[in-house]
Amino acid sequence: MGTDLAYNFVFKVVLIGESGVGKSNLLSRFTKNEFNHDSRTTIGVEFSTRSIQVDNITIKAQIWDTAGLERYRAITSAYYRGAVGALLVYDITKHLTYENVERWLKELYDHADPHIVVMLVGNKSDLGTVRTVPAEEAKDFAEAKGLLYMETSALESTNVESAFLEVLTAIHKKVASKEVTRGSISAVTLGPSNEYKEERKSCC
Amino acid sequence: MAKLQSGNGVQWRDSRSPRATPDNLAEHESSSLGSDSELNGFANTETQTDRYGFIGGAQQSAGENDDIPPDVIRQREAKWLDMLNSWDKWMAKKHKKVKLRCQKGIPPSLRGRAWLYLSGGKVKKEQNLGKFQELDSQPGDPEWLDVIEKDLHRQFPFHEMFVARGGHGQQDLFRVLKAYTLHRPEEGYCQAQAPIAAVLLMHMPAEDAFWGLVQICEKYLPGYYSAGLEAIQLDGEILFALLKRVSPVAHRHLKKHKIDPILYMTEWFMCAFSRTLPWASVLRVWDMFFCEGVKIIFRVGLVLLKCMLGSQEKLKACQGQYETMELLRSIEPRYMHEVFLVQEVIELPVSERDIEKEHLSQLRRWKETHGELHCKSPPRMHGAKAIMAAEPPSRQELKQNPTIIVEAPQTTESKADKGKKIKMSKTEKNKDTINTSPPLNPYPLPREPALQSDNLSKDTLLQSSSQSLSSAEHDTYL
Repeated sequence: MGTDLAYNFVFKVVLIGESGVGKSNLLSRFTKNEFNHDSRTTIGVEFSTRSIQVDNITIKAQIWDTAGLERYRAITSAYYRGAVGALLVYDITKHLTYENVERWLKELYDHADPHIVVMLVGNKSDLGTVRTVPAEEAKDFAEAKGLLYMETSALESTNVESAFLEVLTAIHKKVASKEVTRGSISAVTLGPSNEYKEERKSCC
Repeated sequence: MAKLQSGNGVQWRDSRSPRATPDNLAEHESSSLGSDSELNGFANTETQTDRYGFIGGAQQSAGENDDIPPDVIRQREAKWLDMLNSWDKWMAKKHKKVKLRCQKGIPPSLRGRAWLYLSGGKVKKEQNLGKFQELDSQPGDPEWLDVIEKDLHRQFPFHEMFVARGGHGQQDLFRVLKAYTLHRPEEGYCQAQAPIAAVLLMHMPAEDAFWGLVQICEKYLPGYYSAGLEAIQLDGEILFALLKRVSPVAHRHLKKHKIDPILYMTEWFMCAFSRTLPWASVLRVWDMFFCEGVKIIFRVGLVLLKCMLGSQEKLKACQGQYETMELLRSIEPRYMHEVFLVQEVIELPVSERDIEKEHLSQLRRWKETHGELHCKSPPRMHGAKAIMAAEPPSRQELKQNPTIIVEAPQTTESKADKGKKIKMSKTEKNKDTINTSPPLNPYPLPREPALQSDNLSKDTLLQSSSQSLSSAEHDTYL
């Protein structure tokens, strides 16, 4: 895992999706390599960071996690602020969690940056025997909506790294190509001469 | 290091499995009880249970310091029994004393009972006899049940009462939460109700816990768990506004970095700090909360914010929003310690009036930006006295109903109609007995020899609260 000492960028990524799909474990798996069958219900906001290397650039990923239950959506606007990436998670064994993806997308676009990079994540791929959401179908849906797509298993650690890496790389590409206007990706500042302004902060 | 659940990699429940019935749960119980896999990979050495029932030092209960001497606890127990026996009189005429005793901490053996009396749950139960059983027997809305079931193993998973999948603790949690969704179908279930119910269940049986939950959701924290979560957002704004006076430095910092109160106070308030503080402190806070109401919750929040962000020195470590939030998520143990925290809370000059005044102010602001409230909750009751004043109970409703009645020492007298309710603590099995021989039982069963003692006649024991009750077999918090 990367150290906290120096990083070029900070990217805030949010985990969204129905209650129980595995958001908290995706967070803990990616940032701490931990998984817990009985992780506490998320109430309020949880977050963790991890620094990774992307093309010789050090990116500090700030991953945010919150409660998935319907009524918590009322308090999420603060949560989305400044987010440049989102993992929209569903449970491949619970079709309902996939059906609600449209609602989550709407929620996302209502509150978050319009340029936010979104990946549709089908979690719990280790339970393939009781799958209710065909991978092909989800993949087509993601493509149609302009979303990245991956299936993961936080339990077995399958594709978790890849999912986050892909999202962070895509964000970085967007930043590099300056698709984003100044100010809308708050963690990053773009200098007037097309150079990145490096933020070197000391470890807190 | 990965903590995988060994031996049982598949979830024990998915949406297609039959709805949990006591039979189903019993099946699972036999496979889940006693296996180390339930402890999620904890090594055997970490299964030491603390005095509150937590395993492996969870909830920061390691270290038994500041223990109150047993004779003090005995005295307090006697005083509390006295109070509970004439609750309405105490609340009407000596409420200040009740408040003081809550501030000192309710003796553990009577905590559950005291909470039920303080919250008005006892009265509600008596006024609605059979209601819980009725709700308990109904099937419930499948949508709510689905969500509730997902949460059963996610509340205090390191507490011995809730560690076993499908065990009695989780079963009772299910029953209480389900009953609430039936009691208030328009409210349904909100995830933060689970830890609240779990804390109650650690101290009282399911029916009592249900009424305790009802009172918290309707009287102490109305609207907290309702759709829209407007009440909690408003309280966040109130908290922030009050902070300006309590700690201008902290207030300025949070404002500067645009840290929305919702980002740090949600779990604090919705769970009444049960997921934040070391357990001894949780219990002390709840003792005061049941007596004095939500202002205690506000005060705890303010104290923590002041301690963590209240000086320039401390703020040097927080250069941004994220760093600040991280700091607030790992409060220094010394600020959460029982003795320190309780003292700070008692001394903080924030009153009900301050809160209500700020509430009105924030409500005005809210209406300007959000329009009318979608969920109009009833006004909250600021503690036990207010609850009682709103719905004065009858003597009958306050009467204690012991569930264990034992024979009086003298066989010539008729069977006791009043006995001491012996509360068996769930952590009792882990307590080391101090006495080497079993204590003499002042209430022997007919088979056992009666204790020969001058002043241990039934009447004196029950009426005179200055008597020290000499049984040691039930209390485990000493």
